[in-house]
Amino acid sequence: MANIVAIVKMVPDLVEELEINDEGTGLDRDWLRLIINEFDNHAIEQAILLKEREGGEVTVIAPETEGVEDMLFTTAAKGADRMIKLAGDFEEGVNNHALAHAFAETAKNHQPDLILTGVQANDDLDGPVGPLVAEYLGMPYIGYISGVTLEEGRAIVRKEYPGGLIGEMEVTLPAVLGIQAGEEPPRYVAISKVRQMMKTAEIAEAEISELDFSGGISAKRMYLPEAAERAEMIEGDEEEIAAKLISIFKEAGAL
Amino acid sequence: MPERINYWGIPHSWGEPELYVYAIMFLAAAIMLLQFYRQASLWWKVGRPESRWDKLHIRLGRLIQYAIVQTKVLRQRYPGIMHAAIAWSYFVFFLGTALATVHDHFFEFLHGNTLIVYKFTLDLFTIFFLIGAGMAFYRRYAEKPEKLTLDKGFTWTLWMVTIIVLGGLFTESLRLAVERPDWGAWSVAGWLLARLWISTGATETTLTNWHLGVWVFHLLSVALTLVTLPTGTLLHALTGPLNAFFSELDRPMGALAPAAETAEGEPIFASKLSDLTWKQLLDGDACTECGRCQDACPAFNAGTPLSPKQFILSLRDSLHHNGSKPKLAGEAIPEDVLWACTTCGACVYECPVLIEHIDTIVDLRRYLVIEGMVDAELQTALTNLGRYGNSFGKSERMRAKWSKGMEPKVKNANKERVEYLWFVGDYASYSPTLTEITKQTAEVFQQIGLDFGIMYKGENHAGNDVRRVGEEGLFEMLVEKNIKAMSKADYQAIVTTDPHSYNTLKNEYPANGGHPVLHYTELLDQLIASGKLKFSKKLGYKVTYHDPCYLGRYNGIYDAPRRVIEATGCEIVEMPRNKDCALCCGAGGGRIWMEEGEIKERPSESRIREAAALENVTDFIVACPKDVTMYSDAVKTVGAEESVVVKDLIELVYEAL
Ligand code: SF4
Ligand code: SF4
Repeated sequence: MANIVAIVKMVPDLVEELEINDEGTGLDRDWLRLIINEFDNHAIEQAILLKEREGGEVTVIAPETEGVEDMLFTTAAKGADRMIKLAGDFEEGVNNHALAHAFAETAKNHQPDLILTGVQANDDLDGPVGPLVAEYLGMPYIGYISGVTLEEGRAIVRKEYPGGLIGEMEVTLPAVLGIQAGEEPPRYVAISKVRQMMKTAEIAEAEISELDFSGGISAKRMYLPEAAERAEMIEGDEEEIAAKLISIFKEAGAL
Repeated sequence: MPERINYWGIPHSWGEPELYVYAIMFLAAAIMLLQFYRQASLWWKVGRPESRWDKLHIRLGRLIQYAIVQTKVLRQRYPGIMHAAIAWSYFVFFLGTALATVHDHFFEFLHGNTLIVYKFTLDLFTIFFLIGAGMAFYRRYAEKPEKLTLDKGFTWTLWMVTIIVLGGLFTESLRLAVERPDWGAWSVAGWLLARLWISTGATETTLTNWHLGVWVFHLLSVALTLVTLPTGTLLHALTGPLNAFFSELDRPMGALAPAAETAEGEPIFASKLSDLTWKQLLDGDACTECGRCQDACPAFNAGTPLSPKQFILSLRDSLHHNGSKPKLAGEAIPEDVLWACTTCGACVYECPVLIEHIDTIVDLRRYLVIEGMVDAELQTALTNLGRYGNSFGKSERMRAKWSKGMEPKVKNANKERVEYLWFVGDYASYSPTLTEITKQTAEVFQQIGLDFGIMYKGENHAGNDVRRVGEEGLFEMLVEKNIKAMSKADYQAIVTTDPHSYNTLKNEYPANGGHPVLHYTELLDQLIASGKLKFSKKLGYKVTYHDPCYLGRYNGIYDAPRRVIEATGCEIVEMPRNKDCALCCGAGGGRIWMEEGEIKERPSESRIREAAALENVTDFIVACPKDVTMYSDAVKTVGAEESVVVKDLIELVYEAL
C-alpha cells in the first residue's frame, strides 16, 4: 500500500507555432497553448499501474495553468484518487527551481512513499524538476526510469541507458523517480468518463508560499532559429549549369 | 361435377379420421409452440426491454415485403428463385390445407370449377416446389458455395420439406390412379404420376393400400417436422418474419442510437448478453445462415477475422449454448473481430431478414472504448480529435490553410452571411495530398458564382466515424462544438464533399433549423438541372464510378453523381459491384485510424483490380476525399498505374468548365 504522488506540469504544445515575447526573453505566453508534458503523462500512467498492482493511493499535483483542470479530470478518470492544483502565479511561466519548491512543499504534506515525475520537459531551462524536488526533500533521485516494482521499504527500478543497456537498481523509499516511459503507454480515457469526472470529482487547491526563484536561471535572449542563407538551385540544361558553375567558382575565387 | 371427398380411402374402422389427424396435429403444434416459447423467452428474460410495437401498419408491411414476398431474398437470382419456390409453395400448401378445412367443416365450396382451379394451383406449386428443391439439392450437394452452412441440420430440413411435398403428391396420385376422374388431368403433377401407377397394372385394392401407407407417412412427417422446427434450422421460418416485423423504424440506416441508459440514467456499455436488447438477441436467432452478409463483407473478403454471419451466430451461440462465456466483447467475440468492421452497411443491406449487425458491433465497441481497449493508432487519432478537433493532430488554426492565397478569399461563414455553408471535413482540410482537389472544389464553386463560405477554425471533425468507433462521448463533444459554430453562421444549406460528414450532419445532428444538407454531387446536379452550371467542354473519357458507402447504401444517392459525370461528357462503364452492391474502400467506421492487422487483400486493392479489368476505362472516379487517398495508394500497390487514374469527380467538373 504505497502512497504515490505524481508531480506534473503543462508545457507548450508544439502543434502551434511558438512566438517570442516582446522583450525577447521568453515565449509569448498569450499565444501559448499548453499540453501535459508527455513524460509526466507516462509518470501518471506508471503511478496508476502501481496502484492497480500493489494498491495504495495516487495523488496528482500540478501548477495552475491553462488547461490544468481538464488534465486533472482526465487523470481522475484514469484512476487517480486526489487531484491538487497549486494556486499561484504560474501563468507567466516559472523556472523549475521555483516550481520544485512549490511541489516539494505540497508533496511533503502527503507523506509520499514515492514521487513520480517526467524525466524532462520541453520547457526545462534550469534542469529537470525531479532532482530539484528530491534535493529539497532530502530524498534519493533516479532518472530515466522505465519500470518500477515496489517492495517493503524500497523500490526496484529499471533504468535505460543509451545504447540499449538496461540497469536494474534498488532505492530506499521515500524516493523521487524521473520517468522516461511507463511500463505501458498512457491509456485512453473515453471522453464520457472525463465528463463524468468533471461532474463528480473535485480538484483541491493547495496554497503555497511565495514562489522562490533562487538558483534558477533567467534567460537573457530567446529567439527563433535564424534562417540560414538559402541554397541556390541551379537550373537549365547541362551546358547552362556548367557555365553557371564556372562563373560561381570564379566569383568565389576558386578558379 | 368434380367433388372433393374428405379422407378418401382412409378406413373409418380406426374411428373418425378427423379425430386422430387433429389430435396428432394439435399435439405436434403444442410441442412446437412450447419448444419455441422456451427458445424465445430467453430474448426477454436475458435481453433488455425495448418497445417495438409502434406503427403496426408499417411493421405489417415489412412482414409482407420481406417475409412473404421476400424482396431481399430475391436480390440474388439463383438462391432467390430457389428459396421463393420452396417458401411460396409452402405458403400455397398452407392456404390449400386451410381452405380444405373450411370446406370440410364450415362452408362447402370446393366443387365444380372452383375445385379444378384449386387442384390445378396446388399442383402447379408442387412442380414449382420441386424445381426449387432440386436447385437446393444441387447447391447443397454439388455446388457447395463457401458462404453456405453445410451443416446436417439444413440437409435434414431440406429432406423433410421435400418428403412432405412428395408424400402429398404420392397420396394424390394414388387416389387419382384409383378414381381416374375425367378432370384428373388438371392435377397436372398428380395425374402424370397416376399414369405411372396405372401402367404398373396394380389393382385398385393394392393402390388403395399404398395410398393409405403413404398418407399415414405424410401425416407423420408433417408432425415430425413441426415438432423439430424450433430446435432445427427451420426456426428461421418463425424468427425471420418476426425479425422483419420488429425491425428498426425510428431512425434511418445512417443514424445510430445513442448509448442506452439504465433506469438511473447511467450509460450502458454492452459487454454481455444482458446489456443487449431483446431485439438484438432475436437477431441472433433470426439468422438463416445464408451467408449473404459474409459474401458482401469487405472485412471478411480481406481476410480479417470478421464475418458478419459468424458474428451474429456467436450471439446465438452465447445465448443458447455458451453459458460459460456470457461475456461478449473480448471473449465470445474477440476484439479484433469487432475492430475489423468498416461499417460499410453491406451486411445490413443484404440480410434477407433485416438483421442489424452494425448496431450491435458499435454497441460492443463502445464497451471496448470505455475500457480503453483501443490500439495505439486509434488512441492517437481519438486523442487528437478530442484535443484539436481533427485526427491529424494539427492546430485548428491550420484547418483552412489550403485556402491560403486564393483570390478572392474564401468567405468566413462565421462572419458573413452565405448561401452555402461548406463543411470541408478533416481529410479535405488537412491531408497534404488532397489540397489541390480541395482548392479545385473552391475554384469550381467560385467560377459558377456560388455564394459560399467555410467556418475556418470553427469547424471540427463531424464525428461520423468517431461515433462508429464507439467513442460516443467524443462524438457528442464534436457535435456540440460544430453546432455552436454553425449557430453563429447565417446560411441556407450545408454542402460537403465528404460522405461521412454528410451522413452524420444529415441523419444524426439535431435538426438544424431545417437547413438541407447536400453532398456536392447533389448540389452540382441541381445546378446543372437549373442551367446554372454549364460546361464548355465534352471530356469524352471512359470512366467508372465508385459509390461511397455513406453516400450510396446509407443515403441512396446513386444517380446525382452519375448525372454530373455524364454532363461533363464522360461515358460511365459500371463495375460489376455497383450502386447498392458497391464494395467498400476499407476506410470507414474508423478503420482509417486503426492498425491494419494481417490481411490477404485490401478492399481498395480488390476494387482497383475490378476497375482495371474494365475495357478501355481510363479513370476511376470517386466522390469522397478519403477515397482519393485510399485508391491512389491501392493503384500503386497493385501496380495499376498504367490502366486507371483515380480522380475526384470535381476534377472532371473543373476540367470541363
Ligand atoms: S458493415 Fe461492412 S465491414 Fe462491417 S460487418 Fe457489415 S459488411 Fe462487414
Ligand atoms: S445475418 Fe442475415 S445475411 Fe447474414 S447469414 Fe444471417 S440471415 Fe444471412
